[in-house]
Formats: sequence, structure tokens, C-alpha cells
Amino acid sequence: MTEKIEKWYPGEGKLTPGRAILYVILVLGLVSVAARMFFGLGATTNLNDAYPWGLWISFDVLAGVALAGGGFTMAATIYIFNLKKFEPLLRPAKLSAFMGYLVFVLGLFFDLGQPWRMWHPMVMWNPQSVLFEVSWCVMLYTTVLATDLFIIGLERYGKQSWIKFFRDIYLVLVVAGIMLSTLHQSSLGALFLLMPQKMSDLWATRALGPLFFTTAVIGGMSIITLESLISSRVYKRKPEIGILSSLAKGLAIALLVYFAMKVTDLYARGATVWVWDRVHFWFFVEMFGTVALPAILLSFQEVRNTEKGLLWGAGLAAFGVVLNRFNVSLTSYIGYREFGYFPSAMEIFTTAALVALGILIFDLGMRYLPIYRSELSGEPH
Amino acid sequence: MLMSKAILIDTTKCIGCRACQVACKSWNDLKGGKATFSETWSNPRFLSSNQYNRIIFREIPRPDGGLEWHFISRRCMHCQDPACASVCPVGALFKTAAGPVVYDDAKCIGCRYCMMACPFQIPKFEWDSAVPLIRKCTFCAERQAQGLAPSCVTTCPTGTLLFGERDELLKEAHRRVGTEPKKYYPQVYGEKIAGGTSKLYLTAVSFEELGLTQKGFRTDLGDIPQGIYGRAWMSKVPFVAVAVGGLAVGLHYLHKRRSSVQGEEQKEDQSHD
Repeated sequence: MTEKIEKWYPGEGKLTPGRAILYVILVLGLVSVAARMFFGLGATTNLNDAYPWGLWISFDVLAGVALAGGGFTMAATIYIFNLKKFEPLLRPAKLSAFMGYLVFVLGLFFDLGQPWRMWHPMVMWNPQSVLFEVSWCVMLYTTVLATDLFIIGLERYGKQSWIKFFRDIYLVLVVAGIMLSTLHQSSLGALFLLMPQKMSDLWATRALGPLFFTTAVIGGMSIITLESLISSRVYKRKPEIGILSSLAKGLAIALLVYFAMKVTDLYARGATVWVWDRVHFWFFVEMFGTVALPAILLSFQEVRNTEKGLLWGAGLAAFGVVLNRFNVSLTSYIGYREFGYFPSAMEIFTTAALVALGILIFDLGMRYLPIYRSELSGEPH
Repeated sequence: MLMSKAILIDTTKCIGCRACQVACKSWNDLKGGKATFSETWSNPRFLSSNQYNRIIFREIPRPDGGLEWHFISRRCMHCQDPACASVCPVGALFKTAAGPVVYDDAKCIGCRYCMMACPFQIPKFEWDSAVPLIRKCTFCAERQAQGLAPSCVTTCPTGTLLFGERDELLKEAHRRVGTEPKKYYPQVYGEKIAGGTSKLYLTAVSFEELGLTQKGFRTDLGDIPQGIYGRAWMSKVPFVAVAVGGLAVGLHYLHKRRSSVQGEEQKEDQSHD
């Protein structure tokens, strides 16, 4: 028997202005996507032979996956590094990770020239290809996240015997999730190892893999913080400032580590840093505005302990991760290509719709799944 | 690679007639494009999914003050160890033993990683199609299979294009440079670059002087194939997987053990009280 879970926040199920806007964006995106499927990529996007990868790869794929790094970051924090106090953040992190990967898979689907062949890497293998590995890891990891959400769903319907089965194999899921994430988060950077001559010196480095991994951890932590703060407002709950403040300390450390890695790398390769042009402008924004600044902000306890401070710190850091992905995959080629690239309206609508869809799915999960009720927790203690 | 075919492109013999472009179009059944004037003289201005080869026109000052024309045929280099084949997640692109780097229409998912990875910017995408594929020079693999030379070679009226075994063509290239050192730039482009290619270029001046290093003839690629970077990464993947997995499991049980020991100690403390 399924019992209707009582409403647990005011306004549940109502069409709020926020949701209405999201639905409008979703419809715009649906139209764009239909046009893209019908008329092809050339007619609907500004992609061309000089820029085969554009907004969808930079944002939906690269940035999306990095920002969805919260799932594996939190799982590792709690189960591997045994920091149990972060447990209340685990389930929202899993939900946002699943949402992130769903959005990313959809985004990739529309970006591929032959989306109906998306399954090809499963049966047509090229173990030399980094992208082959990424596609396998992502397929498996999305399955792990889906299983995880399935367990949370089982709890809602009180299927105890099933839950027990999954509890017994839970460590397998956790370890698989962490392993797969480590691999594909870093490998997404390794995609760009093959083209150092085409890229700006600022980002063309052998260390792209570890750098992508570190920024994925940063992206994951900052999105968990933002998501927790925003959903506490939307769902009228008290923000968990105490836990988030500790998480922000970790975020500040991760940002500092990343800054040090980046400086070491640039210094070791002797890259020309102090020049003023468009490419360097975005580099400076990335390094100082979205890495150093939030690191400094969040290293002050006074900032970490306020909602506003956390919002700014995590917001800047998350924006920095997105900017980094754009820089590696687009800005980096400015000096090399004969043409410019700016996404078409349909590309932008599609990406906006994917983000809207992600938020709506998250909202759905928050409404119908026991995300914040840890007394029902399916994770082993 | 044993008995692998190549084309020696002696650009000093080229007169820029573009017969190779026409031959390529008609053999591959590619639609004609609309010609336009531009400051480059080259026509069309770019390779595309509908244009597998083209001649780049360059007018360069001579040391004596005059001007000199150079005509450089641009097409897929058919690398010995191609980056495109290395990165393709489904193995749609691959190098055949006979020399051509070919493409399997039925496998491609349209991810366009080959376009990103190719150091010579060769693979092009059918942007206008709703069912798009990658297109590039095939080195007339199907003609070669029937014992014919590529259509561009057959058509070339001046002997700019010479089709044959790669080893022999390399010897011939060095013989030409050796006998007329004043006529040629002393390097065969394609002999070693990016691990060697099946297109070997002889030019009167360097590609830097021709101003083509950013237009498909990079000279800073080194002698190793680009695919090596991806392969080196992939060779580490299994070890990283095992290390991360092992470390995660190990730490998890370590913490579990520690907390159970702590629990026992607490119990003992309480019983002593």
C-alpha cells in the first residue's frame, strides 16, 4: 500500500511564478530541439567546421558534468573520509548529480550529429580513445546515480526487503561511483590533450586531467552549497549554515589547491601570463575573480557563517568552473581560428531549457522523494 | 609501414589549374559550389564536406624583389598514425595497411572529436544535413583497391602529383632536393611531421614563408603522432581505476574498524565505572 506522504512545505504543488517561467523556457527549448532534429545542426546552430564544438559541449557537457560532481564528492567525504556530519547534504547532492547527468546526456544527445547512434560506443570499441572511456564511465555512472535514486524511491513506498538488498551492496555503488567519477571527470580534460598546438598556452597543458578533476570537486561542493541555500529559501526551511560553513572551508582549501596547481603548471611550462588581450582577459577573470577571490572570501569565518557570504563564495566558485570549461574549449582557440563563434538563439534556448528541466526534475524529486528526511535513510550507518 | 602508398606533391611543378579539384569532385560525385572572388585567389576558400581538396594560391616576394606564385595542394595528409582514428570513440576512422585513412559511415555518431583533434584540420562535417556524416579525402581507397591511382593524380597534367610506395617516394623526394638544392626547401613536409604522413610535400620555400602554418600546414607538431597523448592517458586509466577503488574500499573499512574499536573501548570504559 502506498500512503500519500503529507505535504511538508507550504505551497507544495502550486504553479508558482518561478515554475511558470521554467515551463516557458522549457517550451522554447522544445521548439529549438525539434527544429534541430528536423533541419540539422547547420541550420539551427552557429557551429561550423572551424568550431565543431560550441555552447552545448562547453556548457551542457563539460560544465554540466563538473557541476554535478557533488554526488561523488559528498559520497567520498562521508563514506571514505568518514566525515559523517555532512550526511544531511548527501541526498540533495545525489539528486542534483542525477539531474546534472540527465541534463548532460540530453544535451549531448542533441549535439551529436547522429543522436540515434548514441549507443554505438557500447558495442563499437576504440580503447585508444579518451572519449570512448568517457562515454563508458558516464553511462555506468548515470546508472549508479539512477540506482541510488531508485533506492530513495523505494523508501518512499516502504519496500523494506528491497531496501535491505541494496543496503547490503551499497558500498559497491559508492566505490563504483567514486571510481567512475574520478576517471571521467579527469578524462574530460584529457580530451584536450591531443590539441596543444591549437590551444592557448594558458590552458594547453599535460596536467589538464588532474586540473579538471580538481575543478569538478570545486564545482560539486559549490553547487551543493548553492542548492542547499536556494532550496531552503524555496521550500521554507532553515538553512544548514553550520554544515555549509564547514563545507565552505573545504571549498576554500580546494580553491587554494587549484590555484597553486595552476600557478605551478604555468610556471613549469614557462607560459606567458602577463599580457593583455582577449584570451588573457578571460584567464585573469577565471584565476583572480573566480578562484582567488572566493578562496579569500571563504577563508574568513565571518563570511562563511553568513548566508550571503556563502552564496557569493560558492556562486563565484561555480561560475569559475563554468568559465574554466568555456576557456579550455572555446577561448583557448581564439588565436587559432579564422572565424569567431557565438551560439545561436536556438543553441541558447536549448541550453536554458536543459537547465530549466534540471531544476524542474530537482523540484519533483524534492517534492516526491524523501530527500531531507534522513530518518528513512537507505544508506548504511 | 610496409608497402604503404603515398603521394609526393612537388608544389614547384604545380601551375594552379585546379584540374585535381575537378577530378576529385567528379569521382566522388560532389556538388559544385558557387565560385566567388576573394583576396586569396584560391577557390573555394575552404575545404568542406563537399570539397576534399583545393589549391592554395600564394604570391610571395622573391629575394631579388620580384613576386613569385606558389600553388599548394591541400587535402587529408593520411597520417601514418592518425589522430582522428586515435580519438574516434567508435573506431569509425581508421588507417588501412594500403595507406588511406578511411571512414565508416555506419559507425559514426557525429561527435566531431576527429575535427577537434586533427592537427591539419581536415575532417569536415555535413552541417546542412539532418543526418550528417564526416567527410574528407579518401585517398581514393576504392580506386586503389582496383589498382588505379587516385583521381587527382590521374588528372594532374604537370606531374605535380606522384603516386607510389611511400619509401620510394621519399627517396625520390630527397633525390630531387639533392640534385636541385636551389629549387627546393630542404625538408620534405610529411616525412616525419606528426609521426609521418602519406602526403609528402616538396616546396620552394618553407611553410612559414608561405604563411600557411596556421592554415593546415603546421610545422610545430613535432615528429610524434598526436594520438600518443591520448593513448598515454588511456594506458594509465586501468591503474587509476584500481588505485582509486582500492583506496576507497580500504579507507572505508579502516574507518569502520576504527569506529567499532572506539565503540568497544567506550563499552569497556562504561563497564569499569
